[in-house]
Amino acid sequence: MKTLLFLLCAFAGSAFGQLAWDNPEQTFNSKPQDESVVAKYRFTNKGKETIKIQNVATSCGCTTAALTKTEYAPGESGEIEAKFTFAGRTGRQEKAITVTTSAAPQQPTILRLYVNIEEPVKIQPQVVYWRVGDQPDPKTIHIEVADDSPAKIASVQSDNPAVKVQLTEVKPGKEYEVQVTPASVTQPGAATVLIRTDYPRDNPQTKYVYVRIR
Amino acid sequence: MRALRQALLILLAALIPAGLTAAFHPRRPAWSEDTLLPGEVKLQTVLAWGSDVLWIDARSLKEYEAEHVPGAILLNLEDWEQLFPRFLDRWRPEEKIVVYCSSTSCELSHEVAERLKTNGISPVYVLKGGWEAWKNRK
Repeated sequence: MKTLLFLLCAFAGSAFGQLAWDNPEQTFNSKPQDESVVAKYRFTNKGKETIKIQNVATSCGCTTAALTKTEYAPGESGEIEAKFTFAGRTGRQEKAITVTTSAAPQQPTILRLYVNIEEPVKIQPQVVYWRVGDQPDPKTIHIEVADDSPAKIASVQSDNPAVKVQLTEVKPGKEYEVQVTPASVTQPGAATVLIRTDYPRDNPQTKYVYVRIR
Repeated sequence: MRALRQALLILLAALIPAGLTAAFHPRRPAWSEDTLLPGEVKLQTVLAWGSDVLWIDARSLKEYEAEHVPGAILLNLEDWEQLFPRFLDRWRPEEKIVVYCSSTSCELSHEVAERLKTNGISPVYVLKGGWEAWKNRK
């Protein structure tokens, strides 16, 4: 039995002396107007010795992690504040913050930040293309307005008269389709489709879809 | 003898979840540095493709301006709206696209590759090891 206790203590050693994290994995759902999220990872030193946080590294330049101080006495709590700036990212995002401490320098803790970034107006795809010699069949662009977004599609226009666009409302105020049809695909060409919204009211956003014939 | 049996039982109890994690966990680490994640390609493979490759640098403008793969064009998520049309001006549908960022640990190349794919652009690959792999090439 003594041997068993020794083995248990030996293998369990790495589990002690670590910081205890309240919520090491956090999920956020962003609103259409949000540009970033801030997650706070609270921890407590459950060990018997002071722990020094040696390094906090993020998986992406888009995420910063701030720490008010680096040394924590037994029983003391603190938090790491991670800010993830969206900067054009959309959809589900996963970021990691790696925390290395003096208690277990070889076993860093990985904090996870999950964010579902909702776009006020989502356009898919952002490019439609034909190869030279293809049939000039129409291609469809899907536009989706987020549920809690007040945005509306004001107009859709092509900057090249040789490329026609037609807007159809699929689900009133929420889903649209744009049919893009080139007059000819016998030689290379390009166009930009401008999708104008009425949101935000003070500076309405215009989205772009690119047309290429290659 | 009894203690040894108990220790073996504990070891067995730990090995079962460890094995399941190794087999099925969605974020399990690669067994070795040579293991490719889905969509990744090794530098030697890309070099063997020859000139039929469009290199995409998914790092920041500052890093790109400092150094980049010859002929690579900048396309990152931060400035996607400005850079994407420039990418389209260079892109040819028959080309293989290879995206890279700083190193194995960065995610940007996978994010940019994914966004290109959702726009119907293919084939798109991610360079294993990123810029570091290019710099350390022999």
